[in-house]
Amino acid sequence: MASKRLFDRIDSIQLRGVTKKYDDRFAINDVSIDIEGGELVIFIGPSGSGKTTTLRMINRLIEPDSGTILINDQNIMELEPVALRRNIGYVIQSIGLFPHMTIAENIGLVAKLEGWNEKKIKDRVEYLLDFVSLPSDMFMDRYPHQLSGGQQQRVGLARALVMDPPLLLMDEPFGALDPILRKQLQEEFYQIREKLGKTIIFVTHDIEEAFKLGDRIAIMDDAKLVQIGTAEELIFHPANEMVASIVDTSKKFKHLDTLKIKDLISPLECMYVHDGSLDIESAISSMIGKNIEIAVVSNGSFPLGIVKLIDLLRMDDKESKIIDHVVKIPSFSRNKLLSSSLKIMQKDGHSMAFVMTDGKLSGFLFPNDAFSQVIG
Amino acid sequence: MVTLETILSHTADHLVLVLMTLIISICISMPLAFGSLYNKRFGYVVTKFANLAQAVPSFAVVAIVVPLMGIGFYPAVVAILLRALLPIIKNTYIGLSTVDPSMLDYADGIGLNEWQILRYVRLPNAYPAIFAGIKFAFILINSIAILTAYIGSGGLGELIFQGLVAFNNEKILAGAIPAILIAIAFDIIFTRIEKKLTPHYRK
Repeated sequence: MASKRLFDRIDSIQLRGVTKKYDDRFAINDVSIDIEGGELVIFIGPSGSGKTTTLRMINRLIEPDSGTILINDQNIMELEPVALRRNIGYVIQSIGLFPHMTIAENIGLVAKLEGWNEKKIKDRVEYLLDFVSLPSDMFMDRYPHQLSGGQQQRVGLARALVMDPPLLLMDEPFGALDPILRKQLQEEFYQIREKLGKTIIFVTHDIEEAFKLGDRIAIMDDAKLVQIGTAEELIFHPANEMVASIVDTSKKFKHLDTLKIKDLISPLECMYVHDGSLDIESAISSMIGKNIEIAVVSNGSFPLGIVKLIDLLRMDDKESKIIDHVVKIPSFSRNKLLSSSLKIMQKDGHSMAFVMTDGKLSGFLFPNDAFSQVIG
Repeated sequence: MVTLETILSHTADHLVLVLMTLIISICISMPLAFGSLYNKRFGYVVTKFANLAQAVPSFAVVAIVVPLMGIGFYPAVVAILLRALLPIIKNTYIGLSTVDPSMLDYADGIGLNEWQILRYVRLPNAYPAIFAGIKFAFILINSIAILTAYIGSGGLGELIFQGLVAFNNEKILAGAIPAILIAIAFDIIFTRIEKKLTPHYRK
């Protein structure tokens, strides 16, 4: 049985004086927010501050004691919960893939319940897996336990998109991943966000993530909304001490001109290094096996550049060597000043660089990431 | 001298008794387990009763049925049934209720209704536990069905008791060996079915 398409696009989401109490304690206390269509709003705050509760109210997993929530001026309490939830994509930190279903069945479940035919479901699943950079023919028939954490989280995103919902709720989607993988997925998510063209409400406890991904950031504390604004607004006009301490602007900014690359290096792990003589086919399977998106191509000991998994997957000639497809990136000594290196990278439009220690590769420098570390 | 014919006819009686009791106990236990999932108080009463029935020694259960129902095949079915309910109810209930909360939360969040959550999340999650419960119930049924020969259920127990009374080893073995073979055969067959029905998602 198909449920009604409630909205094709989001024009506005409004929370008006929303309050929820558990016993005598406020879970959220008189929260009012206006979210525009197409916006990515990030809720951040200490645990227990009410950010997840606010998110879960929007798909009625939690219902408010008082106040109203309007989507496109419709009061969501007047909508049927099942229909509402099928019009909203939902991604959670623990992912919650069903272990007894294959990846394809996991992604296609809601479509199946909505009465789509098998062909249509299969096409959609294939499209979505490719969209999140998991080759569909390799992943469709696997079970969740055969996937790494990062791959599972990609499936989690694909699954949330199956009904092409105009609104996505994401509850700490990258929270359980290790730092390098988290950065990769943030980077990727940042890139596909444009293509998605969706309104997204996103909960995190990681201020770097908030600065990197959010259009606006809503800071919650003790069940209340303290401040909502762009990164600049929060940094330059924090509403109170608490906001200032979260965005923590005072310390690092002043020392920007003295920072060296080694202060902001992302250390290299040897699994990233691939020999240039490898053919594309085996490089792809190696990278998928290791759950990495980029590989460093080396000729024995010296790094030549990088290849990206997404590019390799698109190559027709899978026999050729990866050394022929290397993308050169700059490399800097770890004692070089950060500001001058960033300028060089910005001029040439590079999004990453090698960091060398005593003539050997020791890590990466990501300008976006370095910047958000500096301001975060 | 025990003829092959005698062994076969007693084995057939035994199988009828055992399989019939197994099917009835599954039919009774499953709804009780599902009911317990959605009504805490009902669940409490069911578990208390099943635990009680399990705590009473097997032979006492068999004996207690006689003043209430007399002797024969059906009283034997009831006596065995009382002991076989608990493992199926308990395992089914545990399988259905101990689902990873994040899966339930997610199922809720994408708009599955209560029935769909049962069908697509809880039940598949519970299959291994349910099968284990049924297997264990069968072992109990098979052994108590020997005892119920005492109250006139017939079957392999009859041969064994006759043998015990007459110090006739041949008769004892003629009853005991088929009973053991049935237990082993059921275990093998059921493990096969279990493998077929539960997908190979567990390592």
